[in-house]
Amino acid sequence: MFGNNRLPAFHPGLTQSRIRDTTTGSGLWFPGLRSPPLPSESDPANDQLPLPITQEDLYDTPMAPFNPYTYIRCPCSELNPYTKRTPDVTAQGLSRAAQDDDDHTFDPRAARSNYSLYPLEYLSFCEDCHQIRCPRCVAEEIVCYYCPNCLFEVPSSNIRSEGSRCTRSCFQCPICIGPLAVNHVETPPDPNQLLSPDHASSSHLGSYILSCSYCNWSSTEIGIKFDKPNSIHMQLAKLRNGGETRLTAKERKERRKEQASQGGGGGGSSAGQGEEDLDTLLDMETQFANLKSFYQNQLSDANGTGKVGGDPSAALGNLGFDAPASLSRIMSLYTGSSSLHDKKSKSRPGTMREALAPSEGLQLASLDESSAITALQDFESTTGLDAYSSTASTTQLQSQAPYLGASPLHGLTRFTSSLRPIPYLLRTKRSKRCPQCRHIISKPESKVTTTRFRIRLIAGNYIPTITIKQLIIPGLTPPSMPNLPPDTIEPLKPAQFVLTFKNPIFESVRVTLATPATTPGRFPAKVTILCPQFEIDSNTDVWEEALKDNNATSSSSQSQNLSSSTGPEGSGPGGRKRAGTLRPGTAGGASLAGEELGPEVGKVWERGRNWTSIVIEVIPASLVQTAKRDGRGPIKEDEDVLEIPMFVRIEWEAEAPEDEIMPGLSSAKGGNKDGGKEKRELAYWCVLGLGRVARTL
Amino acid sequence: MSASLPHRSVANIRGAAPTSSSRSGSSHRERESSSHRDRGDRDRERGDRDHSGTSTPARPIPTFNTPSSLRAEEELIVVDFGTRKIQVGFAGDSAPRGIVWFGPEQQRRIGDFRDWQTDYHQDWRSKAAGGNWGRDYELWRPDVRGLELGQVGDKVEKAVREAYTKYMLIDSRPRRMVCVVPTGLPIPLLSAALDSLFHRFQPPTVSLLSSPVSVAVAAGVRSALVVDLGWNETIVTSVYEYREVATKRTVRGGRRLTEETHRFLAKELGHVQRDNRDDKQEYVLSFEECHDVANRLVWCKPFKAEKTPKSSPPQPASPEGEGLATVEESDEDKPAITITTTASTAGEKPLPPPPKVTTIPLRSGRSPTSVEVTFDQLSEPCENTFFDSQYSLSSFDDHEIPVHLLVYRALLQLPLDVRALCMSRIIFTGGGTTVLGLRKRIFDEVCHIVQERGWDPVYGKAKEQLRTNPKLKKKHGRQTTNNNRDSSNNNNNNTLTTPGGVPPPAAASGAASEGGTAAPASGQEEDGIWHDAANSVPEVDPIEAQLARTNPSANGRKPLQGQLRAIESLGPWAGGSLITHLKVSTVSTIDKDQWTQHGVTGATVRQADVEAKTQQRLSWNAMNRGGREGKEPWTLGVWGAA
Repeated sequence: MFGNNRLPAFHPGLTQSRIRDTTTGSGLWFPGLRSPPLPSESDPANDQLPLPITQEDLYDTPMAPFNPYTYIRCPCSELNPYTKRTPDVTAQGLSRAAQDDDDHTFDPRAARSNYSLYPLEYLSFCEDCHQIRCPRCVAEEIVCYYCPNCLFEVPSSNIRSEGSRCTRSCFQCPICIGPLAVNHVETPPDPNQLLSPDHASSSHLGSYILSCSYCNWSSTEIGIKFDKPNSIHMQLAKLRNGGETRLTAKERKERRKEQASQGGGGGGSSAGQGEEDLDTLLDMETQFANLKSFYQNQLSDANGTGKVGGDPSAALGNLGFDAPASLSRIMSLYTGSSSLHDKKSKSRPGTMREALAPSEGLQLASLDESSAITALQDFESTTGLDAYSSTASTTQLQSQAPYLGASPLHGLTRFTSSLRPIPYLLRTKRSKRCPQCRHIISKPESKVTTTRFRIRLIAGNYIPTITIKQLIIPGLTPPSMPNLPPDTIEPLKPAQFVLTFKNPIFESVRVTLATPATTPGRFPAKVTILCPQFEIDSNTDVWEEALKDNNATSSSSQSQNLSSSTGPEGSGPGGRKRAGTLRPGTAGGASLAGEELGPEVGKVWERGRNWTSIVIEVIPASLVQTAKRDGRGPIKEDEDVLEIPMFVRIEWEAEAPEDEIMPGLSSAKGGNKDGGKEKRELAYWCVLGLGRVARTL
Repeated sequence: MSASLPHRSVANIRGAAPTSSSRSGSSHRERESSSHRDRGDRDRERGDRDHSGTSTPARPIPTFNTPSSLRAEEELIVVDFGTRKIQVGFAGDSAPRGIVWFGPEQQRRIGDFRDWQTDYHQDWRSKAAGGNWGRDYELWRPDVRGLELGQVGDKVEKAVREAYTKYMLIDSRPRRMVCVVPTGLPIPLLSAALDSLFHRFQPPTVSLLSSPVSVAVAAGVRSALVVDLGWNETIVTSVYEYREVATKRTVRGGRRLTEETHRFLAKELGHVQRDNRDDKQEYVLSFEECHDVANRLVWCKPFKAEKTPKSSPPQPASPEGEGLATVEESDEDKPAITITTTASTAGEKPLPPPPKVTTIPLRSGRSPTSVEVTFDQLSEPCENTFFDSQYSLSSFDDHEIPVHLLVYRALLQLPLDVRALCMSRIIFTGGGTTVLGLRKRIFDEVCHIVQERGWDPVYGKAKEQLRTNPKLKKKHGRQTTNNNRDSSNNNNNNTLTTPGGVPPPAAASGAASEGGTAAPASGQEEDGIWHDAANSVPEVDPIEAQLARTNPSANGRKPLQGQLRAIESLGPWAGGSLITHLKVSTVSTIDKDQWTQHGVTGATVRQADVEAKTQQRLSWNAMNRGGREGKEPWTLGVWGAA
């Protein structure tokens, strides 16, 4: 998963619009779409409260269930040297910059923090630097290129020359981006052909079409058919919408050569020709090619090679059309370095003229778009369809591949009839390296069809995972308001959450937590971590655990030794030990004087083989009152989600690597060695999304 | 059309062939002429020549020796920054590989899949709260106050990264970059973008290209009037000999069009919109939907020339207001200026009696509905955004001048020679060009103003009087030592309308100076100064002379000037690609080390020096300011210095 997670499986906006755009499409396109690929922590649910809030809006809106989540902030975002360096530029912002400088508390609501927060599943870990690596701070190398549709590997040399799209027969539907299939159609009864006999004669209409099995779009709608069922890409490049043929760049070059050789007159004939077809429309590709050769000629003339410019007919007649793409490059080779070349052209700025003819890349604008306007207006009367639906939506236009056959501006597609099938974008398999120590973090198999990885160091194997659950003890937790929607936190009342830290590594880990007393942001909540320092046992074998249980004395004594600093722990038999329940009669929670005990300050809540859970208590602010008071408008998206920034620092003792000198750039401290053990630490910010605060008063 | 490697080598061979043969031929000629020794030598020579005629010449051609150095040439990446999107591709390609649009999906956390939830898009209101309607779709805005610059950098990084991985399929090796940047970009924004690029992508150098110049290059011209119908504003830049000589801007751009579309649709839905356009406006439809409608259906009415006030057009929103009606009577007796590309459009499209309607489904309102609007109505947003023709032309503030007037003023402001060149090279670019008929309308409106007023900053009733009344003229003729404006001001101080920023009136029309086209105003020619200008012998242009010498073939076709003409450009990205591919060095090339050391302000942070502002465009020297380590002076070019 890690090798490819940079490549979005589907374009989110597209699919949405696709669902919205097709009136017939009634539901899911891919069955798996609705459920997010990552099961937990990834899906802060939306609310649909329309604003401004009214009382009746508050409760009856259906709420998507809220899943608590954890995001980890990659430390690389702190390392940006530029933000620190130029405070005067950033200070143009607001007082927020100053505030940031004062205390370095991480604000998950800040505009920038969205870019540095990642779910644990997206993070890698460099074993040598002992540092978290996010997708932003790894160096990538490409293992192979392939088409996601036909799964053919594309050699890297083709990428530069033929572009980053599949050049075989893989296309996406321009309407709904579904995959297109090549289908055979019976030619004789085809009505299109009968309607347009000239097309049939001109482009020997084929009998294959591209069709979408989802929305029933087919390439006949844009008047395109193919002769052969394979290499559709090449055939499509030669066809315009409507079936007219179009010269490809190579053909045009050859044709030009023929003309030049036939004309023989050189400059004179070309000039005359240029003035004749001043009105001809160049497509983008041709115009660019013409411009390029024109400029190259001009530059080489300006370079004063003399001989070329001396014979005008040769300069324009031959080189103007037969221009070698790298003429300027050769010239720069002759004249020396490119800087010299530039200096020369600069020293004589007047010697370059402007393009005067379409053959040199000049294209007069035909501003008259009345035909398109009438087409838009008369669409309903001619076809019976609504004019609105005849136009392509913005997302459809944005997903179009750049079509070089189009004229620059007026060729911009507007109608659905001018959309073209989208050749699939190729994808890559990438291996990732740590940018600092150059060790490989992730390396997939080079074969396209295998999903295995040779190396994959994901952060989930190195740093503890955090899961969140609201703590509701039947006798102790005060009953919530009756009409409160489920999964919401009541404002202005303490709520408790159990954070469970699970240790993935084979050494026991000391965890220190820190959090600001009140959360930053518009709606500050008071946060108390009841047990900010604790220890998680190592991720030993399950069988070892079972064996330990048999001689419980040794294991419990060991664990007590380890956890002595964090406070006295329950040491009963069995994997789970709940601290509170085993120590009756203490006044741990002063407010919780009942028969059953709630969480105690400084005590671990529960503990297991390789996990420990603690309790965090929050008192959220009242959203509605604050929003009324501070006058900063209604509650924005996600502002009602209670998010807590938490600084996590983990320490453990690892086997010191013997063959390797610890580099200074790692965060691990090399000191304190005893018996081949080495103390390591890792610290990072994370964000806990606890729940949605109810919008009650 | 990329210069692929195998093609390149083939082209090298072809390109080298004529040069090499001519060289070898000439060398042989020299040798032949110099050596009249004996027959044996001659024979040897001949044999030698026969030999060399068929095979490679004696002198080694470096092309064949150094293909590896050619091939090892690194890929240059061209990035075109716009407010709504960036375009990224390789230099030398004709089109960008990828276009990345900015949007709210990009700003979400990774692993946040709420976009997939059904009905999530219904919930746009909480996002749009607090004046943020549509702001998520922009990279930056020109007003830097309150803008989180680091976020701009983050957005740039994410977009470039997406382009790298999704469209260009390249790894994260450092590559040189070329950024095509609008000229008016504030330095903090430029600095934030550069910071992000240097920090995250580690390019050895980043070169800056100005987008109007790139647009001109991509049109094949050296001088142009680039009308950039952009998102935040419409910018009219005059480019002369690849230099920007003047810039005018107005807030009428794509964002305004979307907002006008929203107002229009809201009105259709029955919501009364207050007339202010500030942030407190309540939005009833989502930005996406309004933008979509604006892209799909909003069109621009063709220009209606009103000959006389009697034949008033049927439309209620008549393009001409009273401010123009006063001067319109004058245009009958003026000769029409020649317009090369377009015919007159008056009465070209008579509207049929039943108005054509279309149904627009609207889903983002409180309840899904659809409105039925006529096409006439659909041109309203465009009309209000770019022209506002129900108001008098003199009633606009400087920042919201209608686009056609802006173009006219931009031309008027230019010196005569520059204007003559620029007016026949008008290039429309930017997102607003997709509005059907907008370019033609602007063009026709400009033609109309030129027809009416000529290239004279002074217009109005009093000028008409001056023109028609012979007494005034005589009086004027006596005071010929004064220039036009002085005299007219003396005479009719209260009635004349002089637009702001009046250039000297000696800036005569390019059309008049060229002689080939009709003079714009007969009245002006009676002015003494004008006579002089018309009769003066044109100066010999040394550059033209040089051109004629070096390029005799182009002699017959002098560059067109003095006519209003619009030409197409391939856009700023293609221009940047061309410039980079041709290895033209840019004014501003920033070295990574230097940027890392000094940033935009240099090593020491100081508050904005007053001097620095005055010496904008000067290449300030890192050594002068920082005093250490500055290897070479570098500059931000047109973007100034902080």
